[in-house]
Amino acid sequence: MKLLSLPERLGLVSYRNQAKSEIKPHIVVDTDICNSTCPHKCTTYVCPANCYTKDENGKVHFQVEDCIECGTCMYACDQGAVSWEFPDPEIGRGVTWNYG
Amino acid sequence: MDEKFDCIIVGAGVAGLSAAMMLARANMKFLLIEKGEFPGSKNVSGGVLWGNDLAKLVPNYWEEDAGWDRFINHRRLTFLDEESSFSIDFKSSHFNEAPYTGVVVLRSKFDRWLAEKVEEAIAESDFAMDSFIAPNILVEEILMEDGKAVGIRTGEEKFFADSIIIAEGVNNLLTRQVGLQDKYVPADHMLTGVKEIIRFDQNVLEDRFQLNGNSGMSNEFVGFATNGIEGGGFLYTNKDTISLGLVLGLKDLREKEQAPYDVLNHFKKHPVIADMIRGGEVVEYSAHIVSSGDKRVMPEKLYKAGLVICGEAANLLMNAGKAIQGMDYAMRSGILAAEAITKAKEKGDFGEEAMKAYQTALEDSYIMKDINNFQDAVHLLHDPVMTQKVPNLICDFGRNFFSINNEPTPKSRTMLRGAIKRHASYWELFKLGIKGGKAL
Repeated sequence: MKLLSLPERLGLVSYRNQAKSEIKPHIVVDTDICNSTCPHKCTTYVCPANCYTKDENGKVHFQVEDCIECGTCMYACDQGAVSWEFPDPEIGRGVTWNYG
Repeated sequence: MDEKFDCIIVGAGVAGLSAAMMLARANMKFLLIEKGEFPGSKNVSGGVLWGNDLAKLVPNYWEEDAGWDRFINHRRLTFLDEESSFSIDFKSSHFNEAPYTGVVVLRSKFDRWLAEKVEEAIAESDFAMDSFIAPNILVEEILMEDGKAVGIRTGEEKFFADSIIIAEGVNNLLTRQVGLQDKYVPADHMLTGVKEIIRFDQNVLEDRFQLNGNSGMSNEFVGFATNGIEGGGFLYTNKDTISLGLVLGLKDLREKEQAPYDVLNHFKKHPVIADMIRGGEVVEYSAHIVSSGDKRVMPEKLYKAGLVICGEAANLLMNAGKAIQGMDYAMRSGILAAEAITKAKEKGDFGEEAMKAYQTALEDSYIMKDINNFQDAVHLLHDPVMTQKVPNLICDFGRNFFSINNEPTPKSRTMLRGAIKRHASYWELFKLGIKGGKAL
């Protein structure tokens, strides 16, 4: 059986408000903390949807569009950089599982 | 809806829906609020719902081909090294009779179905027009007055009730807001679950896993599956799909710098797993945090005046080696919460003492008895000797034991001694044995 890449896997996920261009992010990340004092930048690998990435200079960036609301970053970040809420049903993103 | 409710339930997962069912039957006026598009739409589990409380909520559920996927009559615990598997396997027709002692469910389907059953119960209650399941609403705040919960706020709107059941799941923001859980919960005793739903032709699935009618199998894995990360794997058979996934210790994942989706592919590449999933098509990828059953991080107090906490919001989940139990704890705790609130209504007192009755009932139930009794087993299962060295040792022994070389065969104990030497020390195993003896 062919193994799927993460983008292929995320392509199977149904997101809410997918068509909306303006959404209200339900997670706010203070990347100044990630890029100054954080010793591990762990969200860039523990996040199951890879919402946190490192650029070629090693700087952390965050995008909320792929978030599947699992909660991992809220626990994994021990530096106080992640403010985590559930998405607003009207103007947030978040997920609707087909199987769950 | 400006009138006051007897109860507002936050979250239409297993705990919230179970509480709602009991409240409807007790002729209580309630509001069940769900942030997703429909009950189940935001919920993920492994998942097997163990035990037979479901039959209390939906009598004769097995007569209906809806909601649940398969009943479990086949259990398997598999140790993996990089090329082998060694399983403890138990299958029995004893488990074929309803009410079943375990059913496999997919939450988007199961919770939605259970919600329909709650709607039916509401329709038969005295508050057919006044109790509601309301999806698409996010509760942002629990309203407190003089230390007592009096309602909830969503956006600008407020709803009021004599009591609140928080059944919001493991990411328990409201539980933190009312001060029953720390604002920041560290990764130490939390795990990240990742899962794929893999679809097959139903006949292929039934033949491959030796299923008959609605029977199903649950298989847990330790060892190679997690690529050195504390935790384990699982495979459950649904109707025409399987749920294949891992639960990975989050602290360990952070320290070992691994991505959960990479570990999942590592698991799928194992030759034994590859044989199980050949020809399947992945139809969903999901992930969710799960608690471990370690009491050190569970909220200690699960009530306040006018408020109780149920299910994973209270971190009611445990894997003590026999099964991953979470949904059954959610179900029972929801039932107990509804019972405490119904009694409170009869007495007209929703104060702290009345809500404490819920936690007392929980302590007296199998949930807290098991969680208290099996703490050592929880710790043992997260011991690196158990998750790595033991599976390697067992598979090494298996390889020797089952090899026929047309040469004189050594005694089994000689083979075992060799396997131990290659993978662990007697001292490690001795310590593990003492822990194991205490744990079980």
